[in-house]
Amino acid sequence: MKGSVLLAILTDVQLWAPVIVLMLGTCLLLILR
Amino acid sequence: MNDALQGATARPALSLHKLGVACGLAAGAWLGAAEAPTKLVTMGFSPFVITLGMVAGVFVARWTVPMLLKGTNFLFLDTREKAHLMVWAVLAGMLWAVANTLTVFAIRNVGLAIAFSLWNTNSLVGLFWGWLFFNELRGSGAKEWTKVLGGTAAIVAGASVLAYATAHQSSIASGRATLGILAALGAGVLWGTMYIPYRKAYLSGMNPLSFVTVFTFGELGATLTLGAFFHHGLGNLFAEVEVAKPVLFWLFLGGFCWVIGDLFQQYAAKYIGIGRGIPLSNTNQLWGLAWGALVFGEFAGLSVYAKELVVAGSVLMIVGAIAIGMAAAPASELASWKKAMHRECVRYSLDEQRVTAQFEGEDLHTGDSGGRRWWEAIPMLAALGIFCWLGFIARRPILPVHTSWMMILLGITLVFLAVGGTLLWRRTRFL
Repeated sequence: MKGSVLLAILTDVQLWAPVIVLMLGTCLLLILR
Repeated sequence: MNDALQGATARPALSLHKLGVACGLAAGAWLGAAEAPTKLVTMGFSPFVITLGMVAGVFVARWTVPMLLKGTNFLFLDTREKAHLMVWAVLAGMLWAVANTLTVFAIRNVGLAIAFSLWNTNSLVGLFWGWLFFNELRGSGAKEWTKVLGGTAAIVAGASVLAYATAHQSSIASGRATLGILAALGAGVLWGTMYIPYRKAYLSGMNPLSFVTVFTFGELGATLTLGAFFHHGLGNLFAEVEVAKPVLFWLFLGGFCWVIGDLFQQYAAKYIGIGRGIPLSNTNQLWGLAWGALVFGEFAGLSVYAKELVVAGSVLMIVGAIAIGMAAAPASELASWKKAMHRECVRYSLDEQRVTAQFEGEDLHTGDSGGRRWWEAIPMLAALGIFCWLGFIARRPILPVHTSWMMILLGITLVFLAVGGTLLWRRTRFL
């Protein structure tokens, strides 16, 4: 994968929104346990 | 006029909105039908084992159905062309698995009625993301906004009424209620957020069949990890799966129906967007209810009041689906979608003309997909073999079933498959 594409992925807010929600959801799971 | 547009005029001119609505409704019917086989066997097993059994069936079907429809060459080429979307597809699969696990705790802590109503708000979350990131409903007038928002609200309300009327309430420990509500809301947020990768992939011209093939790795991986975590190790988890072996066929069957429903859902998200597509596929609650009530006689002891609520909830959901079905995106909104697509093309150096054609169900380079390979028959036969083997060792469920109603519902569900599949094939060749 080209470096420019990798940079585009890393700076893409549409990736970070789901990642943050996933992290919050996983934290909630751990609390529930 | 380019080749794609010429191709479109040569075929029956079905609007993409109508196609998307048909796919959303077919998704509801098949996702609802997927609940039926699992109803036969859920007694006495850990929810993680039930989920893992279903997801394993899903994994098998997710490889074979796309291969059957388009061939591996097409899938490889499409995935390679949009390789950057693989990370989104895996992420979406993981979001699904975590949300699904949260529902286990939500049901345990606050009961199905409250939990279901809360996580069903995923359609509102999806609507928000669709508006924020992908310009959905931007450029639309008050009429379309009212139809989509009103329709979504009616479907959420209808589903909540159905859940309230039919769930067997258990005593809820007050200390756990807050966490249960949080878990259900969390599941709704995760399941609503899961559609960001869907929409991003389809605005980039990716084929839904390629997307789900990658999605399933995130789904199975996260389900296995969470199952192992909650059972204190993979060994313990597999030991429980071993005990559940006689019922795995029914879970695989549920998973298979689920894949068909999910594929229709993916096409709905592609052709009408997530704001309109999610609420339509959420009508699965209506079909799950029909299977439960008519085939498994679950409403035998229900009061007249509860039955009235069931009718009211069903009517609300149908009205909501009709409202969304009539809310076709006007030209001004379609122009906003194009802007979102242009942004993706610039960001990831995609060929905008080709992406536009793929997004509209046409492919400028259909001839490049290279046809089928003989070895594609091997995974097909392997999948068939797994199903046959599980069927051979399957235990016959003891739950009484109304055969005539089962045949009627099965017939209706197959009609949805035939109509949805034919429309997709004729209009887009499963693009």
